[in-house]
Amino acid sequence: MMMTAPYIAQSSTVEAPLSVEMIGVSKWYGHFQVLDSIDFSVRRGEKIVVCGPSGSGKSTMIRCINRLEVHQQGEIRVNGIVLTDNVRVIDQIRQDVGMVFQSFNLYPHLTILENCVLAPRWVKGVSRKEAEERAMGYLERVRIPDQAGKYPSQLSGGQQQRAAIARSLCMNPDIMLFDEPTSALDPELVREVLDTMVELARDGMTMVCVTHEMGFARQVADRVVFMDRGRIVESASPNEFFGNPKEERTRNFLSQILH
Amino acid sequence: MDWVYIYKALPDLMNGLGMTLLISGVAICLSLLLGVIGAALRTSGIRPLEMLVTGYVEFIRGTPYLVQIFFIFYGLPSIGLKLSIFWSGALALTIWASAFHIESFRAGLAAVGQGIRDASASLSLKRWQHAWFIVLPLALRAALPSAMNTIVATVKNSSYLQAIGLVELTFVAVDRIAYEFRTVEMFASICVIYLFCVFILSGLGHWLEHRLNRPFAGR
Ligand SMILES: Nc1ncnc2c1ncn2[C@@H]1O[C@H](COP(=O)(O)OP(=O)(O)OP(=O)(O)O)[C@@H](O)[C@H]1O
Ligand SMILES: [Mg+2]
Repeated sequence: MMMTAPYIAQSSTVEAPLSVEMIGVSKWYGHFQVLDSIDFSVRRGEKIVVCGPSGSGKSTMIRCINRLEVHQQGEIRVNGIVLTDNVRVIDQIRQDVGMVFQSFNLYPHLTILENCVLAPRWVKGVSRKEAEERAMGYLERVRIPDQAGKYPSQLSGGQQQRAAIARSLCMNPDIMLFDEPTSALDPELVREVLDTMVELARDGMTMVCVTHEMGFARQVADRVVFMDRGRIVESASPNEFFGNPKEERTRNFLSQILH
Repeated sequence: MDWVYIYKALPDLMNGLGMTLLISGVAICLSLLLGVIGAALRTSGIRPLEMLVTGYVEFIRGTPYLVQIFFIFYGLPSIGLKLSIFWSGALALTIWASAFHIESFRAGLAAVGQGIRDASASLSLKRWQHAWFIVLPLALRAALPSAMNTIVATVKNSSYLQAIGLVELTFVAVDRIAYEFRTVEMFASICVIYLFCVFILSGLGHWLEHRLNRPFAGR
């Protein structure tokens, strides 16, 4: 799959059904409030970029969506299902939501192909043959089919992250969460991972990306969300967000990361 | 050194070695199993279980091995549990080795990071699937070097069991010395035999380590 035309963010998704809804979500670590009444929603097909200073709660917020963190107040709905403590509900939601981590988190003792095949086989009950075919399909999409038989440690960081994206896609999620997917990469490897994400966006995936790659945000995002101290401070289209930020804190943040 | 004497003693020594290997083998298998189970309990998050396992480990590591053997061999019958010499010995060896394996595997489990757990959760792997496919292989790899030490020590420590009359390698040597007084010949012989066993075992361990570490070798 080649990158032909640049991806044009679409604003025609306004009418699409809600994929993720967070209503008044709060969370505390002891006395420290990490999330403060977060209202946040993502429509099907939308691409949201979340940014903000370190410690502002970005990771915590997206990790609440697939219950890697438990929120204490408010409601989270994923594809209309209310997230509760119920194991089957959590399981259902996790099958719909893929996640990509800063540090890749590939299984180091399994080959790339085995990494991709494990969950579809054991969670979805897909046959080995079909799971492998599907995995090879996604590995081709992220352009590392030739690495399928290697172990994660034998790949570059960029290749590992693309493998992690493929592993996640193998579960056929309809929402993808990215938590600073390029922050752990050497600068020259960032582009290949971002290209993969742009393609994914172009194919219509619903995406929530925590990233400070503002070029990516401009290119792909339908909305950019700025967080600070556990709150969503500003949420706007990339044009408005970068061209005419409303909040003082947003302007400060932008001036810092855009130099 | 009387080589002919050693040569003539060889059949006896080999019988002793057979018993040493048998009881060590039994104890190694059982203690590895108990080690994995114990480490799992110790990190289960269930406080009473964790404390129980910790207490067990501390008790075994804090008391002399010979005392443990006597406790099992002479102590257990007086509370109505009469075991043969072989099973008393196997039990003592297993109980001792398990404590050390629990420690190794606990460290191995700790080597599996939060990131890997997050990955499994996000892929909605069940707890047992994560434990079986991910945690166990990773923890075993991480624990292998120190578990190998314990395995080697299990073979060497089986020698203590001569004190309760188990006819293993050391017993055979000591027994012959008692009436034929060839001290140097006998002790030299069994040292060489123990060394040989340890050598084979360590070699096996290194080979396994090397094999299992292939995925981590990097580019
Ligand atoms: N397990 C925890 N216990 C206590 N405090 C925590 C815990 N996890 C996170 N925090 C705190 O919560 C705050 C938000 O963390 P979070 O990881 O969501 O921030 P972030 O916006 O993703 O930051 P970064 O850009 O550094 O990744 C931080 O101040 C962090 O120290
Ligand atoms: Mg973070």
